[in-house]
Amino acid sequence: METAINQTFKTKATKLLGVNKEDAKISKTYLFVSFVILLVGGFLGLAQGLNRAGLLELPSWLNYYQVLTMHGVFMLLAFTTFFTFGYLYAGLSHELGGLLPKVRKFVWTAFASKIIGAVLVVIPILMNEASVMYTFYPPLKAHPMFYIGLVFFAVGMWLCNVGAFIQVANWRKNNKGKHVPIFSYFATGINVLMFFALIPVAIEVLYLIPWSLGWVKTVNVMVSRTLFWAFGHTLVNIWYLTATSAWYVIAPKLIGGRRWSDTLTRVVIIALVIMNITGGFHHQIIDPGISLPVKMMHVFMSLAIGFPSLMTAWAMFAVFEKTARKQGGKGLIGWYKKMPWGDVRFLALFISMASFAPAGAGGIAQTTNQLDTVVHNTMWIVGHFHLTLGVTVALAFFGISYWLVPYISGRVLTPQINKLGVIQTWIWTIGMIFMSGAMHTVGLFGSPRRTSFTTYGDHATALGWNPYMMAMAVGGTLLIIGVILQVYAVINMMFFAPRGETEFPIAEAEENASPTPYWTERWGLWIVVMLLVVAMAYVVPLTEFIVNAPPGSPGFKTW
Amino acid sequence: MQQFIYGLLLLIALAIPPIAHFMESVMIIHMHMQMPMVVFAGFLMARLFMDRFPRFFDKWNGNGVPGILLFVIIVGFWTLPRSMDDALTEQSVEVFKFVSLSLLAGFPLRDSWKRLNSLGKNILFIFFTILFLVVGWLYIDAPVQLCNNYLVIEQITLGWGFLTTAICIVIYLIYITFTDRTKYE
Repeated sequence: METAINQTFKTKATKLLGVNKEDAKISKTYLFVSFVILLVGGFLGLAQGLNRAGLLELPSWLNYYQVLTMHGVFMLLAFTTFFTFGYLYAGLSHELGGLLPKVRKFVWTAFASKIIGAVLVVIPILMNEASVMYTFYPPLKAHPMFYIGLVFFAVGMWLCNVGAFIQVANWRKNNKGKHVPIFSYFATGINVLMFFALIPVAIEVLYLIPWSLGWVKTVNVMVSRTLFWAFGHTLVNIWYLTATSAWYVIAPKLIGGRRWSDTLTRVVIIALVIMNITGGFHHQIIDPGISLPVKMMHVFMSLAIGFPSLMTAWAMFAVFEKTARKQGGKGLIGWYKKMPWGDVRFLALFISMASFAPAGAGGIAQTTNQLDTVVHNTMWIVGHFHLTLGVTVALAFFGISYWLVPYISGRVLTPQINKLGVIQTWIWTIGMIFMSGAMHTVGLFGSPRRTSFTTYGDHATALGWNPYMMAMAVGGTLLIIGVILQVYAVINMMFFAPRGETEFPIAEAEENASPTPYWTERWGLWIVVMLLVVAMAYVVPLTEFIVNAPPGSPGFKTW
Repeated sequence: MQQFIYGLLLLIALAIPPIAHFMESVMIIHMHMQMPMVVFAGFLMARLFMDRFPRFFDKWNGNGVPGILLFVIIVGFWTLPRSMDDALTEQSVEVFKFVSLSLLAGFPLRDSWKRLNSLGKNILFIFFTILFLVVGWLYIDAPVQLCNNYLVIEQITLGWGFLTTAICIVIYLIYITFTDRTKYE
């Protein structure tokens, strides 16, 4: 009873006093770093895109593969993870009555670890000693400092995960028998997924360190790739789940509606957590050394992940339609007019969501062995992940920033910044349509990925790709304008916008909702099921790769 | 009734020759995917019979022990290399596999699980952990082919499948031993 009163008091206090200052500092720091990285990563992307289109000659001290590696590391590892934790911890603090002092220590230590890691990773790339791309596939061998930096970065992520677990466990102890509030439930799922996904890549990196130091002569390439993708694919889905959290929890509030079924939401999260890590295998669908029946089984495993995504799509549009009709929307399509299209917080989330339809469809095509054989080593794949990460995830993050940054900064979103945000969102969308569309198309014509600009001795086929390269460059230029506007908006909302209260927009559960079953809270059980699925999926290829291993490979520096 | 139909459909799907042939072409998929799915199909179908004939189950499986013993015997039998070979060679044994794993393993598991007390459940978990560790070690360490139908590499893979499953059960046992649910629920 006492704890219940304390909790109510705390919740009320949080509501009255707004955001907890110390917790806001955490989120603000994480988000600030995230958007600075976006700015730098954006310029690197532009340089790379223009160079790839044959429009820009890079200076002699900087080569294409260096820029490519840095762009990947900045955007995929740093921008996304810093943003994710800034966002999740703001939500945990808001929903669970402020972070525990112990948890804050965890998050700050994590921050230090991640920054040290990032610096250690970037130095060898700048020295041109680690142009191995963000996937760092052996036998490409980077400087040992690169791998050591990755370890620090991973430790930072683990500390953030553990901090979130402590926070949620503490809340559950004080609120026996209650369901963890929905945003924190998403945060739990995301952290569980990240915690376990980091294990395989940590094993890989801990093997690569002695190899890069020369203590071990050779490395098992296939095992390394498999361990990498167990993490790599899950990382993609961690961003996706972060974006999904905003679709389910935030978007309904922004349009003045309520959330869709609480049970369905939680089941989607559990399903994504259980089935995700094994999805990594479809990134290796044309790798050698894996028998066809095993590849077939993995097509099913991967398509299974599509199922909760379809549930999400259905739930989202159901919420939109229900809310719009309540507000007087009519007709089969006419109700769309009632949506707040002028509100950047909604517009960005909506486009992010809508883009997942073609992005997901492309993903399903790539999961299929025969179709993937056509596109796997082409620009199509680059187009695919610019559509998923660049639109679905990035626009969701941008949309979130328009209320999250003012919320943690004790400021408000002004109409001017809202307008700027709407313009930014459209520029970004059009830029990505150009760039990703051109990449998809030119990929179908055979233009390879992971190669710098070349005309292959003015071969006719290669010359035929050039118009698409131009379209890519146009898209890239629009995107850098988008990046600059976005970073300007974030800095403005963080430091210069008028002071005031901004709400953390969490939508209520639907009216007359049926109670959510308690088994959704049994994370221990779901984690064991997830481990079992992972064990079953990976035991086949890994045993084959290790028992029937070819001679290991020495390291190569091809750049 | 709905669950019965789902279970039956799953059973039929698994028994369709191309699907059965495909799943049986890889040793670990045969034992760790096809067989558990047949048990699961029986598990789903059991509900109808439990509702229709409650007295039969009460009479013969009052405390859940007879049912779970039957389950253990059937599942134990199907972890043997020889039984898998037989299923692939003899049509009648293949039919017996589908019938036994659904009716004699899936059914009693469903009925017994809620009748067993926590001690019984934990004994079952520990039994299967030990069984999986031993069988896993057998499959990994055997220097010769144990099944005529599968290569040694597949045997080793299956062995590791058993070991990792055993590890997962151990993790679950540690989890339920060291976390106090009453603190949270």
